[in-house]
Parts: sequence; C-alpha cells; structure tokens
Amino acid sequence: MDKWEYAESIESDSIVSIQSKYGHFIDGKFSTPNSKNYLKTVSPSTEEVLASISIGNEKDVDKAVNSAKEGFKIWSKTAPSERAKYLYKLARLIQERSREFAVLESMDGGKPIKESRDFDLPQVASNFFYFAGWADKLDISWGTKEMKPYGVVGQIIPWNFPLLMLAWKVAPALATGNTVVLKPAETTPLTALLFAELCEEVGLPKGVFNLVTGDGTTGAELVNHEGISKIAFTGSTSVGKYIQNAVGERDIGLTLELGGKAANIVYNDAALDQAVEGVVNGIFFNQGHVCCAGSRLLLQEDIHDEFINKLEKRMQTLRVGNPLDKNTDIGAINSKEQLEKITSLVNDGVNDGGELFQIECELPSTGYWYKPSLFTNVQPSYNIAREEIFGPVLTTLTFRTPEEAVEIANNTEYGLSAGIWTEKGSKILWTADRLDAGVIWANTFNKFDPSSPFGGYKESGFGREGGRHGLLSYLKVRS
Amino acid sequence: MTEIKKTYKNYVDGNYVRSESGKTYTVQLKSESYELPLTSKKDLRDAVTSSKKGFDSWNKLSQYNRTQIIYRLSEMIEGNRDSYVEILLDHGLTKPAANKDIDNAINTIVWYAGLADKWEQLTGNLNPVVGEYFNISHQEPIGVVFSLNSTEVSIDKLVRSFLPALSIGCSVINLSENNAVLALKLSEDINNSDLPSGALNLLSGNFSNVLDDASRHVEINTLVSYKKLNKEMLKIINENASTSVKRIFHLPSEDGLSSILPFIETKTVWHPKGR
Repeated sequence: MDKWEYAESIESDSIVSIQSKYGHFIDGKFSTPNSKNYLKTVSPSTEEVLASISIGNEKDVDKAVNSAKEGFKIWSKTAPSERAKYLYKLARLIQERSREFAVLESMDGGKPIKESRDFDLPQVASNFFYFAGWADKLDISWGTKEMKPYGVVGQIIPWNFPLLMLAWKVAPALATGNTVVLKPAETTPLTALLFAELCEEVGLPKGVFNLVTGDGTTGAELVNHEGISKIAFTGSTSVGKYIQNAVGERDIGLTLELGGKAANIVYNDAALDQAVEGVVNGIFFNQGHVCCAGSRLLLQEDIHDEFINKLEKRMQTLRVGNPLDKNTDIGAINSKEQLEKITSLVNDGVNDGGELFQIECELPSTGYWYKPSLFTNVQPSYNIAREEIFGPVLTTLTFRTPEEAVEIANNTEYGLSAGIWTEKGSKILWTADRLDAGVIWANTFNKFDPSSPFGGYKESGFGREGGRHGLLSYLKVRS
Repeated sequence: MTEIKKTYKNYVDGNYVRSESGKTYTVQLKSESYELPLTSKKDLRDAVTSSKKGFDSWNKLSQYNRTQIIYRLSEMIEGNRDSYVEILLDHGLTKPAANKDIDNAINTIVWYAGLADKWEQLTGNLNPVVGEYFNISHQEPIGVVFSLNSTEVSIDKLVRSFLPALSIGCSVINLSENNAVLALKLSEDINNSDLPSGALNLLSGNFSNVLDDASRHVEINTLVSYKKLNKEMLKIINENASTSVKRIFHLPSEDGLSSILPFIETKTVWHPKGR
C-alpha cells in the first residue's frame, strides 16, 4: 500500500466489569434462574467467552410475567409526570455511563467503538429523553378521548443494535404506562443486563422492567404466555410470522419490525460523490447488520461504470478489524452462525453468475470477519438480489427509467426502507410517493432519530417505533 | 295489482351480481323474506380483483372530489329515507328508532366526507429530528381492506364498518351477514354517488364461508372485523394472516380519529438541508 498505516488507537476495556454468570432481572432484582441451562456469550472479535447467560425456561418467564403484572398495578396508577421522571433519570444515568455501555456493546456484539460510542449510545439516551417527555402528554398526543396501556408487554429484540433496540422498545412502553418483560438476543445480552442495574439504581418500582435472558426457546415461552397483553418484536420476517401465528386465538396487541431488502436508487443526475458516501454508509454501517440497510444498489444504466469505479475505490479505504480500535470502520460479524449465512449467500451469488468484488485487506486470525463485498452483473432473480443477507454485501442492479427503478425497488415482499439519490427535487417526491417503504432517505441514508417513526410496509412488519406514531404501538385508543 | 318485489344482489365492481355458486340464504324479516347471495370463495376473489383496480381509481381522484362523493351518499340516503325506514321497521325497529338511525348514519357520512381531505393533516406531521434534516411522516392508505360488518341492525353501524377505511383512500370489501339487506339496499345509493367501481364492494353471506380466503389472500392488505369473533376464528385468521404479515384488527374503534388508524401506513421521508 502506498499510504501511511494508521496507528492503533484502542479503547480500553478496563471500564467494564463483566460477571462470570448472570441471572434474570425480575421483581426489581437479579435472581437465581429456575433453569439450569446456560449459554456462553462470546466476543465475536476474539472468540473469548465473556459470560454465562441463563437460558430462561417456562418457570422463569412465568415469574417475570407475574412480576410485570404486579408492577402494572403500581405503574398504571403512577402519575404520568412521575413516570416521566423515572425515564429522565434513566436517560441521565445512561449518559453518565455511556462509555462503559459503548465498550461493552462493542465487546459483546462486535460493532466498531466509533459507532457504539457516537451512534448507539447517544441514540439510546435520546430515546429515553424523548419518550420521557411524552409520558405526561399522552392525552394531547393524538386528540383521542380514550387511551389505555395494554398491560404487560413482551418484548423481543435482536442482536444488531442491542441496547438501542432495548431503548426503542422499553422507553415508549414505560412512558405509556405498560410494564415490560424483555428478552435480549442470545448473542448480545450484556448491555441489557447492565441496563437492569440502572433500573435498580433509579428505584424504578418493582416489576415495571423485567429481563429474562435466553435463546429462541425462551422467546417462544414469552410469546405463548397468556399473561402477555401485547408483543413487540424486532427480528427476522420468518420469526415474525411464527409469532403472528402463535398469537392464535388470543386477542392481544402485536407490532412487528422485520427484515428488509432496501433499494438504494441512484439516478444519473445525482451528486455522485455524495451518493457513493451514502451507499457505503447504507450497506456497511454496523457490518450490514441493519434491517433497513441499503442492500440493493439500483444504478441508472448510464452511470453504472463510473459509479462502480468510484464505489470500489471508496470501499478499499474501509478499515476492517478490532471493534475497540477507534479507527475501525467495519467490526466483527456478530456470530459464527451469521458469518456462515453470509458466506453461503455470497457463494450462491457467485454460482448464479454474479461478479464479486471484495476489498483487499487482512482479517484478524481469530474472530468472525467478512470483507466488504460488492456484486455486479446481477439478475433480479438471484438469491443475493432477493434475500436479506444481513452482512456487508451490496448487490447492484440497473435501470433505465424512473418507472423501472420504482418497479424493481418494489419487487420484493419487504418494504422497510429505501434510498433516492438525485439533485432534482420533483423526482425525489415522485419516487418517494411510489415506493412501498416505511422509511425513505433522500440524498442521505441510515439516519435515525427518536422523533422519527420507523417501521415497515408489507412483510417488513407493522406498527411504528419512534415519534408520535410510536406511542400508538403501546396504547389502545378509542374515539 | 300484484306487488312486485326487489331481488337483492351483491354489489361488485359497480355491478349487481348473484353469487357465482348460485347459492343463497334466507333472511326472514317481519313481513318480507329475502333470498340473498351466499358469497363464495370465488365471489370474494372477484371482489379482490375489483378492489385492486378500485384502489387505484379511488386514489386517482383528488381528496376534494372524494369528499364530495362521500357527501353525495348522505344526500342520496336523505332522498330515499322512506325506503330505509320501511326496511328498518321490517327488521323490528320502531319508527322513531329507524329515523334516529338514519339521522345518525347521515351525520356519520357527513363527518367522514369532511375527513377525506383532512385526515393526513391530523395524523401526519413533521418530526423535529436533530441535525440539518427535513423529516416528514406522510400518511398513506394501506390498500385493499376486507371488513366484516357488526351484527347490529343499523345503517349507522354499517357505514361505520367501511367509511373509516374508504374515506382515507382504501378500497373496501364489506361483508354483512344476517343484516345484509341493509347493505345491499345501500349499494343502490352507493352506485348513485359516483364512487368509482371497485372502491367499495358490498357482499352478503356467512363470514365462516370466506374466512379462510379473506385472511389468506395476499392482495387483501388488512382484515378488520367489527363483529366479535370467536376464538376458533381468531386462530385461523392469525395463522393465515401470518403467511404474508397481513394486518388484522378485531373490534377497532368505530368513531373519531382513532377509527382510521388501522388503515394508515406511515411513510417517513428524510432529506438534508443545505446550500
């Protein structure tokens, strides 16, 4: 390489203290699980075991739901302004211990410290601040005469933004007067466990927030528990479908935030250098472990070669490696299982006839890693153009007219997000009107804010998280 | 002179049609007995095809135009009040109760007519995001809605089972069961209100005959029931709906702003600000 090497700048992990074994957080305290089964949570960048986590069983879930039921009796009668104060206090504590959370998040999940420090944690705190302020304004939020919380809400969150997904779920649920049983993802439970300590610290009434760790079996126990009045799930479309089916005869609330295969449309009149940045951010942010990732690049045919040339050059500057190195752009793939899934789908793409470009870089010898990858010469029927890869792999398709771009973009069962790149305002609005997607980024990508509703069309799920609309996911409204 | 009696048919794609199955069911009122079409699975699929097109043509109209079409429905009902009173009396209502129900229905229709060009202002908003971004939550109608009417004998309840979705731009397939004479009677005034074909299809029959298809059909975006369903039905509906993540609403709000919320998709658009 003809460039100077970066000097390492490693964030110290001495700020975190991890216990060797964790129980569940129920009734305001950590308790010994009924389940005797444990799983090991591993650092995906070093393959070191960080801690043993209980795989909550039926009895553990039952205990947590009963605790949440008791908690609801208190919480639903707590003055809204008091509920707000608990959430404000949580927001403050998160800010104060932000660095500790960020390091822990990067260790347990593999994301670059740059992202956990500058994106995840600030967003976590701001979500608690934002929804704290709604707690005592629900009566004026939608102009409806009657609003009631559901009661006990079961929440199941994924491993890509562990603490941020907790914030998206817990902050609005508590602000609206519900109580929570949360199950974090099996590969990334540590920041949620640390959050539980904060709940104890702020003196949140017992039973308002409960946490049961575990795997899919624990999630199924929670979903099927008859004490649950509402389920909020973020994860894959296949598990979302399982949950909707499992609701069965129960007349309960359900919101689903599922997968995506977002089109990132670049018109020939776009500012190309900015578009390249946006496309890179769209797919390589968080190793591509993002449900709304811009994973299908739709290029107008006449700029294809020029754009791909610029994109490959830019990709080559991405730094893959130690998540705790402040220079790192792309961290570790979250788990061995996910790495195998990405590898298998990329192999499909090559076998189907796609042209694969991967950046030249050295990958660490231990841990789970994948080189930022770009497919060109792809047909819309290929697996890589249809299935969610959930990794740092971008698939390119081309189009000639705006109508064709919209048709290709919508030709998927997903409908979570989309991107539009053009300098022409009327074309942005024309395109945005026609795209079946819940979030559309025009001349930007992967922007988030607690005040901005997020959620999908079609098989990307239903309900919104964030903003005034996000309140409706946790309230039964009449009139 | 021999009295002649009207034959009631399903209202699909702007036409009055019998069930393709040829099947009917009997609705016995105090003085009259009616043989109504027993909607089959095939009838439902035809209605979905019509509603897909109906959604596009209904949405091509301006909100201003949609307001006037819904308002015209209230004018039509007022003009035919006596014939509605007669049917309601035959269902067992008293004359004052029948007139009250028609008054209520007209008020409901007028309310939703005026909502057609305002609902997005009431449900969408700019979002005050951090940073130099314009961020707006635009509101869209979800598409094709299947709606099961309540079992009450009421024109007001009937119109409340389709206007929340229809007024915001959805196309609606509405099924009534033993109270279906009211819906099929109303279809005449719907037809005279300039509603585009397929925007509203009115069917009669037994929900259990079409439940499986209505909850499984991927081109029905939302299934809503204003009738309380039993557990067995809910189980089938959720199981079928899960195959395509269909939206299901059981006994949602029937009035006010909250009545339209099940039928909205929120589309949030970001754009940077700059020079």
